[in-house]
Amino acid sequence: MESPTGMTPTAQPLISPAVQSNSGSRHLRLLGTLSGFTAGAWLGAAEAPTKLVSIGISPVAISLIMVIGVFLARWSLPALILGTSSVRADVRRAPHLIIWAVLAGCLWAVANTLTIFAIRDVGLSIAFPLWNSNSLLGIVWGFLFFNELRQAGWRRWAGVLGGALVMCVGATLLAIASSTQAPAGHSLRGVWAALGAGVLWGTMYIPYRKAYLTGMNPLSFVTFFTFGELGMMSVLAIGYNGLSPLWQELLVARGVIFWLTLGGFVWVIGDLFQQYAAKYLGISRGIPLSNSNQLWGLLWGIFVFGELHNRSSSAYLQVVGGSLLMMLGVGAVAFSSVSGGEQARWKEAAQREGRRYGVAADYVEARMEGRQAVGESAPSRGILDWLLVAAATAIFIFFATMARVPQMSIHWGPAALLTAALLALLVLCGVALWRTTRFN
Amino acid sequence: MESAENAKANSSRLSSVLTDTHFWVPVAVLLAGLLLLRTMS
Repeated sequence: MESPTGMTPTAQPLISPAVQSNSGSRHLRLLGTLSGFTAGAWLGAAEAPTKLVSIGISPVAISLIMVIGVFLARWSLPALILGTSSVRADVRRAPHLIIWAVLAGCLWAVANTLTIFAIRDVGLSIAFPLWNSNSLLGIVWGFLFFNELRQAGWRRWAGVLGGALVMCVGATLLAIASSTQAPAGHSLRGVWAALGAGVLWGTMYIPYRKAYLTGMNPLSFVTFFTFGELGMMSVLAIGYNGLSPLWQELLVARGVIFWLTLGGFVWVIGDLFQQYAAKYLGISRGIPLSNSNQLWGLLWGIFVFGELHNRSSSAYLQVVGGSLLMMLGVGAVAFSSVSGGEQARWKEAAQREGRRYGVAADYVEARMEGRQAVGESAPSRGILDWLLVAAATAIFIFFATMARVPQMSIHWGPAALLTAALLALLVLCGVALWRTTRFN
Repeated sequence: MESAENAKANSSRLSSVLTDTHFWVPVAVLLAGLLLLRTMS
């Protein structure tokens, strides 16, 4: 088995283990940072299809269709990348995480539905930064529950707290701008929906951190997470619409099902990178980084959908200024790197979780370092994995045959440029993850 | 015998989750989110 530094077990190290460990740890932090930015790009792009809310489909139905795409992606991508045997092995080692994953999926589904209401009431470029306040909550939970930012030193604290403060100012600016842009009587509701989504998503990172501190592979976690998503979303959709009206609505929406499920698929790719960012940077840093999706969402909203067209210049300035402030805050948080003392506190939290849930210490340590545990078999793909991939592909092709291009103004030039940037980041980060961790 | 041990282990894991204070934070937030959603529609 190859070591994380690329040496075989029989090779003689040229540098001390401590230096290797520091270097490997730094490498993983850089990988986490790259994963966070790639997540931002893909999560931002995934929100674009929700613009279809303007064509008259109910928010709950849109959310349900997106979650169906998410469900397909969350099973087919892990099967393609590592194989379901790896998922089964992870679950045998930490079965309690199934409950956490399902709970996180439920939180995601409710938050996602709220974002659709928010977009409808205040628009994508306003709602996006508001629900991205989830990173602030991620910092709080990371500190309170998982020893993040403990023994971090005053500079890192200043970076995180200063960044959080700047983000709050940016969010306030955007909320003020929203009151002039949304229909009267709906702007406040939209702001509440966006902030509510932020709280739900911010809290969803508690299960994420639980899972990664005890060594679960992100690819395994999301396969169970998605049962919570689809289950909760189905309950919401049937509860709000009723089964028969929901079915009628899905039939009416069949022309856009492909685009919405594609949005869900794109979201999953972003979310996978976000999971790796949370794993290697912690939630207090990984989540703000992936919340750079706000900037990508703004780019899609303005250049592809012409969202701020014909708005007053002051509203334009408020949105752009607020977003830039939030990005500045995100940057300050992101560059408050993890110190050795803080990392030791992370390990304490990991050991605490391991003891509580009976997960082997060597497994937890190996996975924190992005390698396989001793005696762990290499992941492999079997016939079941290929069947899952084939079935998901067939379903997407089926939806594509029913698809029609929505009758709305879309600027294809910027859309092509943004798509090319997404693919470049996917390849860059995917290769880096594979070479360093083999997606462990 | 083995199934009895499995059942005991499963029960112990469930108990570990339910007695973990961290668990009840997302549960409470989820319930609040559902209430908020109810007011939206």
